[in-house]
Amino acid sequence: MKLLLTKTIRAVFLMLLTVSTIGLNAQSDPSGESAVTRTFAITNATVIQAPGKELKGATVVIKNGLIQAVGTNVTVPKNAQVIDGKDMFVYAAFIDGLSNTGAKRPENMPRPNNLFSPDPPNDYAGITPEHSLLDQLDIESNTIASLRKEGFGVSHSVPFGRMLPGSGSIILLGDKKHADELVLSKDISMFTQFAGAPGAYPGNVLGIMAKWRNLYRNAENNKKHYDSYAQNPSGIERPERDRVTEAFFPVVTKQQSVMFDVSSVLEVQRAIRLQKDLGFKLMVGNVKQAWDLGQMFKDNGTGVFLSLDLPDAPKEAKGKDLDEMTEETKRLEARKVDFYKKYVGQAASLATSGVKFGFSSLDVTSTKVKANLLTMIENGLSETDALAALTTNAAGILGIDKITGTVETGKIANIMVSNAPYFTKDSQIKFMFVDGDKYDFEIKEKSAAGNGNRAGSAAAGNDPIVGTWSYNFETPQGASTGKMTFAKDGGTYTGSMTSNDGAPDANMQEIVFANGTLSFIFMIDAGGQSVELVVSGTVTGNQYDAEVTVSAFNFSTPMSATKDGQ
Amino acid sequence: MKKNILILTLILFTGFVAKAQVKKGDVLIKNGTVLTITKGTLDNTDVLIKDGKISRIGKNLKAPNGVQEVDATGKFIMPGIIDAHSHIALSSVNEGTSQVTAEVNMGDVIDPFDVSIYRALAGGVTSTHALHGSANVIGGESETLKLRYGTSNPEELKFEDAPRTIKFALGENPTRGGRSRGIQPSSRMGVEAMLRNSFNDAIAYRSTWAAYKADKNPRKVAPEYDLRMETLVDILDGKVLVHCHSYRADEIYMLLKVFTDFGIKKLTFQHANEAYKVASELAEFGASASVFADWWAYKLEVYWSTAYNATILTRNGVLTSINSDSGELIRHLFHEAAKTQKYGDLSDDEALSLITLNPAKQLGIDNRVGSIEVGKDADIAIFEGHPLSVYAIPVMTFVDGVKYFDRANDIADQRIYVNPEESVENITIFNRLDEDRCMEEGVVSFEALFSNKK
Repeated sequence: MKLLLTKTIRAVFLMLLTVSTIGLNAQSDPSGESAVTRTFAITNATVIQAPGKELKGATVVIKNGLIQAVGTNVTVPKNAQVIDGKDMFVYAAFIDGLSNTGAKRPENMPRPNNLFSPDPPNDYAGITPEHSLLDQLDIESNTIASLRKEGFGVSHSVPFGRMLPGSGSIILLGDKKHADELVLSKDISMFTQFAGAPGAYPGNVLGIMAKWRNLYRNAENNKKHYDSYAQNPSGIERPERDRVTEAFFPVVTKQQSVMFDVSSVLEVQRAIRLQKDLGFKLMVGNVKQAWDLGQMFKDNGTGVFLSLDLPDAPKEAKGKDLDEMTEETKRLEARKVDFYKKYVGQAASLATSGVKFGFSSLDVTSTKVKANLLTMIENGLSETDALAALTTNAAGILGIDKITGTVETGKIANIMVSNAPYFTKDSQIKFMFVDGDKYDFEIKEKSAAGNGNRAGSAAAGNDPIVGTWSYNFETPQGASTGKMTFAKDGGTYTGSMTSNDGAPDANMQEIVFANGTLSFIFMIDAGGQSVELVVSGTVTGNQYDAEVTVSAFNFSTPMSATKDGQ
Repeated sequence: MKKNILILTLILFTGFVAKAQVKKGDVLIKNGTVLTITKGTLDNTDVLIKDGKISRIGKNLKAPNGVQEVDATGKFIMPGIIDAHSHIALSSVNEGTSQVTAEVNMGDVIDPFDVSIYRALAGGVTSTHALHGSANVIGGESETLKLRYGTSNPEELKFEDAPRTIKFALGENPTRGGRSRGIQPSSRMGVEAMLRNSFNDAIAYRSTWAAYKADKNPRKVAPEYDLRMETLVDILDGKVLVHCHSYRADEIYMLLKVFTDFGIKKLTFQHANEAYKVASELAEFGASASVFADWWAYKLEVYWSTAYNATILTRNGVLTSINSDSGELIRHLFHEAAKTQKYGDLSDDEALSLITLNPAKQLGIDNRVGSIEVGKDADIAIFEGHPLSVYAIPVMTFVDGVKYFDRANDIADQRIYVNPEESVENITIFNRLDEDRCMEEGVVSFEALFSNKK
């Protein structure tokens, strides 16, 4: 007995030793990439602690991943890296209410042989609420860095899928070594959307609404059954395990909210109808058309995340085009402008009705976030309400307001630092702190006019885009991958795209690279019809994040590319 | 705690009020020819509408303070037209992946933005029966609508407290759906088998739940809940009116037998092109029919059709209506009703009943609409010319006393929501300027005569 005890102690000791050795190895940092210190002080800055609460000439101390002190009379710790905050503006990092940030889209499940369309397997039907974002979370995903670059510190991210893809988690938009380290708050929502199964039940919104009611009502009954069996199994039929119904239990007990991706005004009202029937806690995200729904949101206490995506402004006709317009066409064009105003004024009108909403980055190209926010402000949203939507309101709806959303002592160090008041046209983000880790961004000088096709004076030898890139974008037919090659000839870029699926090569046209933004167009043959694809996005090092737009079909999709090793 | 209950009551009460909050109008329609449907035709008569209801019908009525008057001198006032078979104002029509989908509900997919709603109003229509499609043997529950155009809230289009209805379908449509997916039914026999199997399942489901509810054991375990079966049980219990897509006499007769076997009584056959062959059987069962005036031959199973169908059914005592099933035909259902005077000599009241009172009865809303009577909803259409005349022109349409269509103030662009990214093109059907120039020269060439620029 004594011998056994000694052995155990020795084993535990050895184990501890091993663990600490691993720790030492990590600290020795062979790659040299670790930060020298995790203690920072931003001094003499304008600190916007919360919407409408501003401190001038203040210092923010960050230590151990937390905000340790904020104020005008704060001692800077000796081991702190000091950042001179003169002319800088410190905000709480933004909070994204709904996106797929960090998630890797799984392969579409092939159609099973002998599929019985009225009752397909749950995986094919898209009924997988037991899945979690964590199953799809990928630390390598470039979406994390691109959203962080726009000022966001956390994102409520949900998995890809159909009707019930799984639960969403709040993730930190930092560079971490393991996916688990990204997770701030796990499985906070059950994510759902009106996405039917291809050729199987539920095929559209009709079946989805019915299926939702059926799943929920059964989960209510099953929860009672499970509970009473757990209390005393004697004499009760053993409940059969069912992962789908079990995933509904926290929703039924209102411990977990339902997050509905509902962009249109009709979809939003369908989600609310379902909630009224069943009684779960509801959040709606990616909302684009809710200018008429302020009162409804308030009556129902719905958590609302508006889309950061906005429609393109209708083009104003001039000269010959204007002369050729009929009166009717002019009236129709005027109505487009009226409705454009409604879309860009949505946030302002909901703020006026007293709805506390956040924002969702789901459908927006990340590089358009700030421009779209400024458009909303031009159309009546106050800067205070905009900031509240990006920080405190979002934190409140997601239940993380004790952790983040303000620059206050004790909150996690999720901070954005810009070189001018953020809601001004020329402001740029200088630093991001996520979970206490610092990320630097280069402040770009304002571009000289007339960059055009010229690539400036950069020597082709170390030109940021010349070379071969591997690209990847989603099409309705699946992922499209291939290579794109850029060359530079006398200051003008040329390039071609090669597709891995055997489609003919396409020459890129109108290649423009200026201020870190690369755009070009290329044509593809779609069944005898030539279709123009417009690609535009930002280059960060060897990473290209862009959006492909096919205006002929009113379709756009994100594209990413990585420069092949040099 | 008491305070909480009070607050809860208040919340529930406000919620209830919010649900019922649709616009109600007050208006005095003066000096028209009132086609009451149930109480004859009244010349030079006024109709007073208060708070959305018809409050008085008579001569020389005075408008209460602030109530607007509409002069209907020389015009015809009739009850709003009711279309018992329509798919307008819906975002989806079929959940076609399964052949029995009693659990789906058209109330979930109302599209208040459909411009067809306005076009229907412009044809004097005030209510439609928004039906599930006919791809399934048992489709979904349907929704009876009032065409309150102009809202973004789908709930406001619902006909409050209208009875529940459901769509069934027989014949080529569901069997084609079944064959294309390799599932039952692939024949008319399969359709009957699916119906019988579904109702037998529902009976078993009902007794399982009845046994559960009767069980006094506090630790009892609930059986599986199945929304599909819940709806089927409600059909068996007479709580849902069945509207069945059908054409051939044999399949109509089949369904009568199935419903007799299961004791289901509330049944309307939709389309029912061959109903005239089994008119007396329908009358004996008490089933009604909602038919086309004269559509036929668009597929094999509608070959043996007749424009006398509505008349034969009416003369045999079958409650009959005429429907559109179309966003175009719905605009002139009054013409469709008039065809029964050409084919069958129905009286004016009988012909008008086909598009007013009779569909109201088939939908179980005849206590509210379908005729002009004191106490009924003020769903009213005003016509220039008698509505059964080929020269009839609808000029105003009211729902709950609120004017939703006025020919004198008919704005061209009736879209409620507009996509700001949609492209607008100049649409020119022909170029008047070119034509004028052609005439200027005073020469009509052979080419110009046959040019498509006319």
